Amino acid sequence: MLNEEIIYQAIATVIDPEVGFNLVEMGLIYDVKIIDSCDVVVTMTLSTKACPLHQMIVEWVKEACQRVDEVRECEVNVVWEPQWNITMADENVKKALGA
Amino acid sequence: MFSVNRDFAPPFKLIAPYFIIGVTLYLVSTLFAFSLDISASGYMDPSVIAWVHLFLLGFVMMVILGAMAQLIPVVLENGHFAVDLYYIIWPLLLAGALLMACGFIYSAVLLPFGGLTVLLAMLIFLLDTLMTIKKVKAKLNFAMTSIIIANVFLLSGIILGIILALGYAGIISVNLNELVKGHLYLLVGGYVIITIYGLSMVLLPMFGLSHHFSSRPIKIALFLMTAAVVCVTTASILELSLLSYIGYLLAAVSLLFYLYQNYILYKTRARKEHDIYIKSLYVSNASLIASLVLGVVYIFSADETLLFAIGWLTFTGFFGFIITAHLYKIVPFLIWFERFSPLVGKQKVPMLADMLPLKGANAQLYFSAIGVFLATYGLLFASNDLFRSGISCLCVGNLFLLQNIIYIIRFK
Repeated sequence: MLNEEIIYQAIATVIDPEVGFNLVEMGLIYDVKIIDSCDVVVTMTLSTKACPLHQMIVEWVKEACQRVDEVRECEVNVVWEPQWNITMADENVKKALGA
Repeated sequence: MFSVNRDFAPPFKLIAPYFIIGVTLYLVSTLFAFSLDISASGYMDPSVIAWVHLFLLGFVMMVILGAMAQLIPVVLENGHFAVDLYYIIWPLLLAGALLMACGFIYSAVLLPFGGLTVLLAMLIFLLDTLMTIKKVKAKLNFAMTSIIIANVFLLSGIILGIILALGYAGIISVNLNELVKGHLYLLVGGYVIITIYGLSMVLLPMFGLSHHFSSRPIKIALFLMTAAVVCVTTASILELSLLSYIGYLLAAVSLLFYLYQNYILYKTRARKEHDIYIKSLYVSNASLIASLVLGVVYIFSADETLLFAIGWLTFTGFFGFIITAHLYKIVPFLIWFERFSPLVGKQKVPMLADMLPLKGANAQLYFSAIGVFLATYGLLFASNDLFRSGISCLCVGNLFLLQNIIYIIRFK
């Protein structure tokens, strides 16, 4: 049965090519909601508003979610509040970046 | 929230000529520097002016305009008005740079033609930029404001340049020694440095993952540099030396605020690794600090040889290294975007850092840094031997840079 954990695992396959970490461990995925057992709504942010990969990353997240068999529709909302900062990232990311 | 589309990364074939030609002309300008007799040259010496135009138009402006093809939409949060215009800007800029350089070396008759060709290239660039700015619906942020101010100065600087070219060719009578200061400040301070201010506030936090920092210092820096350019330009037209000195002082203080902003961004960055990008920025900022120190010494000594060293450090040190730092970020990104982004999710793709030839990049950094500082000593002590030793190292650094850019472009 579809659950948030499966979606997080799917999104974790999307890697930011600049820093080399996946979006989940970067702390960029704020929320995942599953509606009617098959529709997914992802709320996420980016490390900067000026990210030239903005639209591509949104597409990659959508595609990663839709690769999960049980998913029917996926909507990705990009928000800027709260603003992302390094404290939101996993420990391994902070350690690797030297933060 | 703003939408972003593929306009944010124009096709690499559109931008590639800017970077390849820019880096090649950096090498050509460095080779040309071997012909300079620094013990006998003044700052209005035709060979010196030829080198300055080859370096600034051929390398600095060429790379900046190429980078703008990608960065304008990122900064303005809007796609280009007509990105295809960039296909005709580089041939005009290349022709203009070569005509200007040849004009100073061989025949002043070529200068107005070179100047008009450069003006045409810049007008096309300005047309696209200003029409793109017109599309901006969001409130103007710092970077957008900087780009607008920089472009106004660019247009004014080129027009003043045409007047100078006509004067240099003997077609009209103007005070060349005075007007050249306005021309220099409008283009170097007004365009190049204000553009660096604007883009720094987008790119440095983006690459360093800096957050929660004050941007007050850079706003003060922008205000002061704008005032400095207006003061020096007005002084050069009206021949008011006191106003010139006020302008020089404002520019120096502005650069100090810029350095302080860099320090704040450096302290607040989450990425602490010392990669080629950050190391190049160290050298760029060190060069700027050194040129500011020499500027202070110049005020008290009025020794004209210091002007060469200040100019050299600012151009090849401050500009040269900040540009190469960003080439190591922008070129891999554009290649990755074009070649690898369609493969994401389908197969393993390289990270941007994997596309950099690390040994080559480090070799470029060390040879260029040694070259720039050794040549500065040569200029300070009016020693052609020391200067040419530095130029030799810089040439090797330039060759590595060219090789590195080609490596990234051919990365598969």
